[in-house]
Amino acid sequence: MLNYNTSIKEDKSYPDLEMKEIKPIMKLIIRGKTKEFISAIGKNLSMLLPTEANTSTSGETLTAFWLSPDEWMLVSNEVVSEDTNAYEVENSLINNISKTNLGAITDVSDQFVIINIKGSKVFDLFATGSPFNFNEFKNKKGSVVQTILSHIDVIIHLTEINEVNLLVRRSFSQHLYSWLTDSASRL
Amino acid sequence: MFLITCPFCGEREQSEFKAGGEAHIERPKQPTELSDDEWAEYLFMRKNIKGIQFERWNHSHGCRKWFNVVRDTSNDEIKSVYKMGEKPPTI
Repeated sequence: MLNYNTSIKEDKSYPDLEMKEIKPIMKLIIRGKTKEFISAIGKNLSMLLPTEANTSTSGETLTAFWLSPDEWMLVSNEVVSEDTNAYEVENSLINNISKTNLGAITDVSDQFVIINIKGSKVFDLFATGSPFNFNEFKNKKGSVVQTILSHIDVIIHLTEINEVNLLVRRSFSQHLYSWLTDSASRL
Repeated sequence: MFLITCPFCGEREQSEFKAGGEAHIERPKQPTELSDDEWAEYLFMRKNIKGIQFERWNHSHGCRKWFNVVRDTSNDEIKSVYKMGEKPPTI
């Protein structure tokens, strides 16, 4: 049994805003530059990686975030089993991508915490601490952005209109969650 | 504060970036043949002009890629942005 202790102790709810942690979710960073790499990933996952900046693509079980021209993050759409941290997708990618020197696969499942925030005030909350202009982002389902929230690096994924998954590094998660709850209580 | 258009991610605020100093400084091909003065010139001396300057920037809180920016240092106006390895524009 793995240790899933978390710094985020409780779900929070405010008028027009709800926050909770979603766990455990598989997260992989995949890196590579060549055409062969892109097509090998496509064959393995039976989905295409997004090539346009600040977007994502979704398959049946996985979603891929664009992070940089040669870097993507792959997350599972549903929570995974708590009993193991070995993932079938990871094993198949390591065998077909890493071991053939096409690219790199890194498991970051435990590095990032996913906070789900939904409600009509999501972007009012972000406006209090992020320099990013969310005007176009918030109307385009599937958008992904890496930016700063309260001086902390975050990845924000728009899963539905007015619902986002916020990925933050585990060591910053407690501080960010306390900032989020404090800020949300003053909206 | 000003906006920078990252060639990969699009328009972002300056606080997402780190400045990386003057661009297009070439490392000497034979460092061992240089005098101390010439080496110091390469290593430390930068133009720091008031006006149009060619600079390197890194989108450290976004895609983490390096790129070049042509900036007017007197009013922070960005004249041009281009990727690493591309030819600098004539301004």
